Amino acid sequence: QDRTITGTVTDKEDGKPLPGVTVLIKGSKVGTQTGGDGKYAISVPSGSTELSFSYLGYTVQTLAISGSTVNAVLESDSKALTEVVVTAVGIARQAKSLGYSVTTLKGDELTKARETNVINSLAGKVSGVRVTAQSGTVGGSSKIIIRGASSFNSGSTSNQPIFVIDGLPVDNSSQQVNTISTSSVPQGSAGSDYGNRAGDLNSDDIESMTVLKGAAATALYGARAKNGAIVITTKKGKKGQTTITVNSSTRFDNVLKLPSFQNEYAQGVQGVYSSGPTVNSSSLNGWGPKIIEVQDKTFTNYLGQQITLQAYPDNVKDFYNTGKTYINSVSFDGGGDSGDYRFGYTNTTQDGIIPNEKLKKNVVSFNAGRNVAPGLDVRTNVNYTRTVADGRPVQSSNNPSVLQSIVYGLPRTIDTKVLKDNYFDPVTKQQIALTPTRTGNNPYWVVNNNNFSNVVDRVFGNAIVTYKPLNWLTISNNLGTDFYNEFRRGVTRQGTIGSLTGDFYAANIYNRIINNDLLLTVDQKLTEDLSLKVIGGYNVFENFYRRDLSDAQQLIADQLYNYANAGSVVTTNTSNQKRIQGVYGDVGLSYKDYLFLNVTGRNDWSSTLPANNRSYFYPSISSSFVFSELLPKSEWFNYGKLRASYANVGSDTDPYQGVFQYSPISAAFAQYGYGSTFPFNGVLAFSSPATIPNLNLKPQNQASYEVGAELRFLQSRVNLDVTYYNTNTSDQIVRLPLPQSTGYSAALLNAGSVKNSGVEVSLGLIPVKTQDFTWNMDVNFSRNVQKIELPSNLASYSLASGWSGLSIKAESGKSFGIYGVAWLRDDAGNLVIDEATGLRKTVSDKRLGNMSPDWLGGINNTFSYKGASLSFLVDIRKGGVIYSNSVSSLRTSGLAKETLLNRGRVFIDKGVVASGSTFVPNTTPVTSMQDYWAQYTTTNTEANIFDASYVKLREVRLSYQIPAKVFQTSVKFIKGAEIGVEGRNLWIIHDNVPHIDPEANFFGTESVAEGVEFNSIPSTRTIGFNIRIKI
Amino acid sequence: CKKYLDINTSPNTAEQVDPKLLFSYATVAYMNLRSSGDLYIPIGLAGQSLNAGGNNPTGWSGGDPSPDIYTFSANFFNNTWVSLYVRGGANLQQAIKLSEAASPANNNAAAQSKVLLAMMVYDITTTFGDVPFTEAWKAEILYPKFDDQKTVLEGTLALLDQALAQFDEASPLKIGANNDGYDLLYKGDIAKWKKLAKSLKLRTLLTMVDKDPSKAAAIGTLVNDAAQAMVNGVTDNVAIPYQDVPNKRNPKYAISLQYNGGKNFFFASKPVVDIMNAAPSVDPRLPKFFDKPAGQATYIGVVPGADAVDAINPRIAASLHSPAAPEVMYTYQEQLFAEAEVYARGLGVPVDLGKANTLFKQGLAESCKFFGVSATEAGVFSTSFPAFSGQANAVLTIHEQQWVDKMDRGLDAFTQWRRSGTDGSEVPVLTLPIGAPAGPIFRRFEYPITNEISNNPNAPKTTVRYNEKMWFDL
Repeated sequence: QDRTITGTVTDKEDGKPLPGVTVLIKGSKVGTQTGGDGKYAISVPSGSTELSFSYLGYTVQTLAISGSTVNAVLESDSKALTEVVVTAVGIARQAKSLGYSVTTLKGDELTKARETNVINSLAGKVSGVRVTAQSGTVGGSSKIIIRGASSFNSGSTSNQPIFVIDGLPVDNSSQQVNTISTSSVPQGSAGSDYGNRAGDLNSDDIESMTVLKGAAATALYGARAKNGAIVITTKKGKKGQTTITVNSSTRFDNVLKLPSFQNEYAQGVQGVYSSGPTVNSSSLNGWGPKIIEVQDKTFTNYLGQQITLQAYPDNVKDFYNTGKTYINSVSFDGGGDSGDYRFGYTNTTQDGIIPNEKLKKNVVSFNAGRNVAPGLDVRTNVNYTRTVADGRPVQSSNNPSVLQSIVYGLPRTIDTKVLKDNYFDPVTKQQIALTPTRTGNNPYWVVNNNNFSNVVDRVFGNAIVTYKPLNWLTISNNLGTDFYNEFRRGVTRQGTIGSLTGDFYAANIYNRIINNDLLLTVDQKLTEDLSLKVIGGYNVFENFYRRDLSDAQQLIADQLYNYANAGSVVTTNTSNQKRIQGVYGDVGLSYKDYLFLNVTGRNDWSSTLPANNRSYFYPSISSSFVFSELLPKSEWFNYGKLRASYANVGSDTDPYQGVFQYSPISAAFAQYGYGSTFPFNGVLAFSSPATIPNLNLKPQNQASYEVGAELRFLQSRVNLDVTYYNTNTSDQIVRLPLPQSTGYSAALLNAGSVKNSGVEVSLGLIPVKTQDFTWNMDVNFSRNVQKIELPSNLASYSLASGWSGLSIKAESGKSFGIYGVAWLRDDAGNLVIDEATGLRKTVSDKRLGNMSPDWLGGINNTFSYKGASLSFLVDIRKGGVIYSNSVSSLRTSGLAKETLLNRGRVFIDKGVVASGSTFVPNTTPVTSMQDYWAQYTTTNTEANIFDASYVKLREVRLSYQIPAKVFQTSVKFIKGAEIGVEGRNLWIIHDNVPHIDPEANFFGTESVAEGVEFNSIPSTRTIGFNIRIKI
Repeated sequence: CKKYLDINTSPNTAEQVDPKLLFSYATVAYMNLRSSGDLYIPIGLAGQSLNAGGNNPTGWSGGDPSPDIYTFSANFFNNTWVSLYVRGGANLQQAIKLSEAASPANNNAAAQSKVLLAMMVYDITTTFGDVPFTEAWKAEILYPKFDDQKTVLEGTLALLDQALAQFDEASPLKIGANNDGYDLLYKGDIAKWKKLAKSLKLRTLLTMVDKDPSKAAAIGTLVNDAAQAMVNGVTDNVAIPYQDVPNKRNPKYAISLQYNGGKNFFFASKPVVDIMNAAPSVDPRLPKFFDKPAGQATYIGVVPGADAVDAINPRIAASLHSPAAPEVMYTYQEQLFAEAEVYARGLGVPVDLGKANTLFKQGLAESCKFFGVSATEAGVFSTSFPAFSGQANAVLTIHEQQWVDKMDRGLDAFTQWRRSGTDGSEVPVLTLPIGAPAGPIFRRFEYPITNEISNNPNAPKTTVRYNEKMWFDL
């Protein structure tokens, strides 16, 4: 039977009543708030025994219900800041004792506006963390960079942080599978975007996600510490009665930004549609006749029909579907005095914006702990994820199924609605192509036939045994594994232009991590004021990887993707294994709870380095000083902490790099063809290595320091966190790209350093707080300055190259930059024009901009009124450049709106022509605007380089917590419910790139390189609805 | 603990291999380059021995700018460079190293590798001009300097001389021993390798002699010395067959199969057809080279850059680009034409037009037979040519047939054309294709930016355009 409890909540400091304090019945979501006089009244069910009182800036207080009056006295949390943070190797520490910057996102922050790739939820929320979605592909990959890229080389651990779940390091690779066939582009995110493995994580199972940014924070990870860490703690059952939580989201996606097209000109060459009235145009572009001027004529279209030309302004937009996503999760959790459990199941079903693009993900998780004997606890956590994706569109180049260029390249006169039903000729059983040439694939033929799919089955989990024989000693062992098998397949149906005989490839990728940490913790109070905590650990880590890949060519029976149906099958296999052993220790001293000192050390032995170089010691020291403890109490200043740290960490390299070795070769390359597979005329083949190995390789070495302060003012209504950091990663292990006249493409060596220094500021404000209404504002800002140092004999070198002369390079004294072909200019900066043609001249290999942004910012506002809350996140990137192949294609093909300018008129480009040793203004007109825009070809890097800055409305969420009393009267079994409307990537408020979203990258998450868009699937805008019920 | 970490040996690669396995890879990579889309197609088109068909939808251009009007993909330059320096050259260098380091040394394997390497180096420099050679392929030199073309060509001569000194016909050690197939050129016949090496010297010297007349003496020595037998029969031809098996077919065939429904992409080029049509009797190679449209009486080549018409213009013959068609690298007729040229021009030997005429006709007959013309027809055709009317006529006629014979050999035809005369007087005289950018005509590949220039501080800093001549090209 319910009874009403009343009471008053006061401030311990001055005894005044506190308005707006949340009063909750413990173990439920039922609650109320205190009024202006600090008083409250709440109806409590008979089974409830405790009430909790929480108020921002104050310590939460839980009081037993005795009688009908419960008064609470709250204490400002500057006195007792007991927030606990999970740090490296799963060590939980008090936030105030940390000598480095840490940001923790709570699980509910991640499930607000749920993202299928949980990494995206970090975008704009954590200073110093840069998240870039690589494409708009469903289940596509996202790259995360903390405090700037620290490494020259690529690879899943080169610049990406390590991901640790409940103490287990898990895989976050994004495999690039190189096929030998026509799809010679790697089938990872560079070809089809198959996602990165962090995308397997389920946000509904995450209790918290802690971003450890600096090396001091991660030093206990030793050789894997240098890029920071994402430390994830999964949800556990809570003491009390069983709770069932149901969370359901329905979301809709559409293209965030489409190109601006011209709608005045048809396809053709220099104004001419085709070679004759009964001939279809061979061109997929907008350089044909002006539609309005040829209304008296008819032309032959791709269906062989005689038509009058007409523009379809929405034909590209019409190609895209409305994407739909359904995320449904249910969890059961509970626990008693001796144990707890939580079982979760989440189903995600997603239909992409591209026809036939689908993803299904099912996640089952189980986490249970039990106290089996006094001092002995066991806990196990198992997670199984199955992801099935179909219709992943092909991006970039060199594959007939590359979709984006076909769709954006549709002539303005093609009606997509008609095209959709006319891609297959039922009589000839052939594709109805858009042109008779070798570029005329019908996009609906591609999406209905050429399916690039994958299936991932992944299990990760661990078993933890903790034994506490003495009250000052804890021994624990954490054994875990993370393994998955990914099956990938890409099929190209016979009759696809570019691969008329059809082909397919299939790959099995297997990866297994085994990790064991044995930890010994000693926690002793040495004197009244001085406490000592010593942790010793021993770690064993192994990673095994295997890949079997088969390429099948020249298929016989239509649409039968079986190896026996192929004229040729080439199978390749590879595997590698790597082990690390580490011994580590952490000594922590605390004095009077306001002065803290931590010293850590780890010695690592890596199997990937030469035996004489494989042992390395990595130390760190950090200190925190809560100086406000020593100050007299102040109305306006209530908490102040200074922190400082230093760390030296490193990283090893990939397996098998130390020996000169010959690789068996399965096929010899031939441009545009199938190549020649071995055995050829009965002989096999081997090749000398592409990379010169190095017998004296050393680990990379990263020294870093960081200082910072945390300050809270006005009863914590103003929170300021400021950090300055400086890291120097030297002895870079690089595959130094060599001029290939050496006979090698690269040399493996230790060379150069990357310095990153920067400032991170987080400002939390509560501008308004009344009894019912609160406005929270969180602002973060980070600026990273990167500076490369190279050996003096090395002016620059290439980190990665795109096609057509574009490369990402490191150059001494500068940050990573994009280089390529540029317009030739005179000393005054004027464009130099060729007198003969009126077209611009070019030069190669010029620096064209920084790869990384100058600074990042995020502004998150939350308005809460009673049970309702509205939040929105603005994400800002300033600086850096992006190269866009799509923009190039839209312009050279005469389809972009700006290509209307000066058509049919005499146009003289503004610039100068050489006249002896000086320059004079150009007077030569271009032959045609088609020739003029042809200069914006993909091989001209500068013509397609843009400022990558943006301001985006990243996230908006409106939620309403249904008042408990609604359920108390009718459906009592419901403990709480919340409904919400959520939106992601809603609006590009500002950008400087025409036609595309500046957030795209074809290199993939493992590559150090960024800033290149190459027929990338456009990003999407998402709007959805969410309901969460607790039973 | 130490054992636990001693796992850094790859299960997928070998630390020691038989050099023949590197030689076979280099050979196939090389022949693939010479017959596919990075070298054969762009140079054949830009060099005007092939035609892209303009806006003909099933021609190579298909209405888009292609190499015939000097639209080159950077891939052509990069991939050609990689095929020759890395897939080809680097593996041969390793094969040489392993052969010479073996105990006992495998001298023939080293020498065979050197001859093939010399062929690649010749192709590298005739494609790109001044290129790294003396400092190339040395792991200790990360940034090789660029040598002038003369140095590089002298280097190929030196490589061939080294090989000739190293061949040991008595030794059973060689690539292709026991007829194991790894010598894809000559099945381990060392005598043939020696003849080829000398013929390649002659080819190199002929390329150099106009710029460096002092080479005439060496040419004379080669031609005069009977003991110095060069390629002297069709069995000495280097023509490596492809197989009519999926993914082992000649790329010239496979490209059409994969992208054009089996229809040949390339049309007969007017400059080639014009020479053939001007012969004193009907050239029996015409139907071997081209498939004439039904109903057409004559072979009408397409003007470079113009649009080809299916009803009028012949395409390259399906029989020439057959699935198993060989990649041709050196032929007996090429040797005979070269010797004819030597006597016609009096290079290191007295001018002897009679001898030149005999060699020329022999070469012409061999050329016809090579392309499948019967011996009788070949004889009739070659003897229909009147005796040379003078030195100029002799040289012109020989050069014409040297070029026609190499019609389908991309780079080889282009190099022959460039060395056939001074600027504007080459044989035949070629003009700017319709639709090509104004300026001089095609003379070379540009340097690859990605794979060399941007990584090599010792590379030339100024862009050398595709229409700038190289050292040997007067």
